[in-house]
Amino acid sequence: MADLQKLYEAVLNGDNKTAVAVTREALAENADPIELIQKYMIPAMAEVGKRFECEEYFVPELLLSARAMKGALELLRPLLAERGAEPTGRVVIGTVKGDLHDIGKNLVASLLEGGGFEVTDLGADVPPEKFVDAVQARNANVVCLSALLTVTMPAMRTTIEALKNAGLRDRVKVLVGGAPVTPQFAKEIGADGYGENASVAVNLARDMVKASSHA
Amino acid sequence: MPDSVFRRMAAEGARIPLAVDLVLHEQPDPEAILTDGERLGRVLEAHAFRYGSPAAFPRMDLRLEKRDLLQRLGLAGDEADTYHFLAPPPEEAVARVRDGAPGAFLPAHQAHFDSIRYIAEATSLFPVGMTIGPFSLATKLVADPITPVALAGRGLAADDDESILLFERCLEMAEATVARSIRAQLDAGARAVIFCEPSANAVYLSPRQLTAGSDILNRYVVQPNLRLRSLLDKAGAAWFLHDCGELTDSMVKILGETLHPAVLSLGASRCLWQDAALVPEDVVLYGNLPTKTFYSDAAMPVERVAELAGQLAEKMKARGRPFILGSECDVLYVPEAAAAIRRKLEAMVAA
Repeated sequence: MADLQKLYEAVLNGDNKTAVAVTREALAENADPIELIQKYMIPAMAEVGKRFECEEYFVPELLLSARAMKGALELLRPLLAERGAEPTGRVVIGTVKGDLHDIGKNLVASLLEGGGFEVTDLGADVPPEKFVDAVQARNANVVCLSALLTVTMPAMRTTIEALKNAGLRDRVKVLVGGAPVTPQFAKEIGADGYGENASVAVNLARDMVKASSHA
Repeated sequence: MPDSVFRRMAAEGARIPLAVDLVLHEQPDPEAILTDGERLGRVLEAHAFRYGSPAAFPRMDLRLEKRDLLQRLGLAGDEADTYHFLAPPPEEAVARVRDGAPGAFLPAHQAHFDSIRYIAEATSLFPVGMTIGPFSLATKLVADPITPVALAGRGLAADDDESILLFERCLEMAEATVARSIRAQLDAGARAVIFCEPSANAVYLSPRQLTAGSDILNRYVVQPNLRLRSLLDKAGAAWFLHDCGELTDSMVKILGETLHPAVLSLGASRCLWQDAALVPEDVVLYGNLPTKTFYSDAAMPVERVAELAGQLAEKMKARGRPFILGSECDVLYVPEAAAAIRRKLEAMVAA
C-alpha cells in the first residue's frame, strides 16, 4: 500500500521525486485521484503557504513545493480529464508589454498550477491584444498581469482597457503584481486585486473564482 | 586612491540619485544617443553637473552583457533579451566564452565604453563604469534560475540534476562575459565599476538554506565576484556593489564583509542606519530612497520624499558612517510621470 502521508510530506518538503513516485504507486493501486489532491496535495500546499507567510519558507521552498505538486498533478491530469473534473479556475497570466521580467510571473504561474488552476502562461512582453485573445480562447475567469518596472506599469492599464473594449472585463477578474505595483495603483487602474506576493496572489485568485461562482 | 573619491563625497554630504535615464530622455533623440558614445558621455556629464557630483555615473542597462554573450555564440539575435538556454550549453561553447572568443561589442555596449572614455578624456569628472554581476547575468540566461540554485542549496550537484549543470555552465559563461565588459571599461578609463547584483537576494537564495549552512551564496555570488574584483584591484579601480534585492541581515553582513566593496548600495527595503552596523566601517553606504515609487503622488507624495531624505541623512550622520544619499536603484524615465519624478529628486537633494 502506498503511504499517502508521504505524498503530503513530499509536497511540503518540495521533494519532486518522492511526490511522483508515491503518486504513481497510489495510482497503480487504483487510488482516487481527487482524494489524492484534496486530502494530501492541497493541504500540503496550504501548509507551504502558511510557512511562507510566517517567513519559515521562502520563494525557493515555495517553488520546490509547487514543482513537486506539479509533478504529481501531471500523472493525475489525464484521469481527471476522463472524469470531466473542472479545474479550480482558468487563469491567463503574463508580464505586460515592454517588460521582460518573468521570474515573479513564473512563480505565480507555478503556484496557481499547484493550486489546481488551469494556467495559460503568455510569457513576457505581452501586448494587450494577446491577453484579450487568450481570455477568449481559454474562457478564462482570472487574468494576472505582472510588471517589474515603473516604465511598464502603464501597460497594465492599457491591458485592462483592452479587456473592457473587447467586452470581456465583466467576466474576468484582473489581478496585478510586481515590485513597483501598489494597492493604490491597482485601484487606480481598475484592477480587482493586488498580489503582494505569489502566495497572496494564489489565495486571491481562489477567492475571486469562488466569489464569482456564488454570484 | 579611487575609494577616497566616494569617501570624500560622503564626507561632503553628497546627494546623488542614479538618474541618467531621466536626463537622457530630456534630449530629443534618446535612442540615437544610446549608440553614440560621445553624446552619451555628455549626458553623463550633464547628470553629474545637475546633482553636483564629482563622479560621472553611467546609465544602468543590465541587458548589455547578455546581448554580448549571445552574439558571440551566434545565438538569439533580436531575441536576445528573452532568450534562455533550455539545456546545458556544450562544454566547447563554455570554453569559447571562457577563453575569450574575439568579437566586437554591439553598438550600445561600445557606446557605453565610449561614454566612459569621453568622461575620462574630456572632463575632470571621476569616470564610473557599470556591469551586471555574474550571478544576476546567469539568472537571466535560464528560464527558471530559482530551482537549480535551491536544489544546489540542498546539497545536490550538477551530476545529480541537469538544471544545476545548466545553471553552473551559464554562471561560468556569465563570469567570463562580465570580465570582458570590465576590461573594456577599465581600458576606456573607468576608475570605479558598479557591479549590479540585484538577483543576489532572498528570492533566489533561500535564507532557510543559508541558515542551515548551505554554501550557495559563497559559491554562486561571492566567489565569482571576488575573482572579478581582482581585475579592478589590479587596475587600481574601486568597486561599487549595488544590490537592490530583498536581503536578510546575514546576507548584508556577508556581502559587506566578504566582498568588502568601496561602496555598498542597497534597496529601499533595507534600513541603512541599522545596516551600518553589519558592514565594515570603511564601506560607504549608498542609497536608498524608494525611487521606484516616485512615479506616484499617491504612493509617495513629494513631502514624504523630503521627510524620508531628511530622516535618512540625519540618522546616518548620527551613526557616523560614510554615506551618500541616493536612489534605491536606477531612476527610470516614465513618460506619464517624468515631471513628478523630477520634482521628487529635487526634493530629495534639497531636503
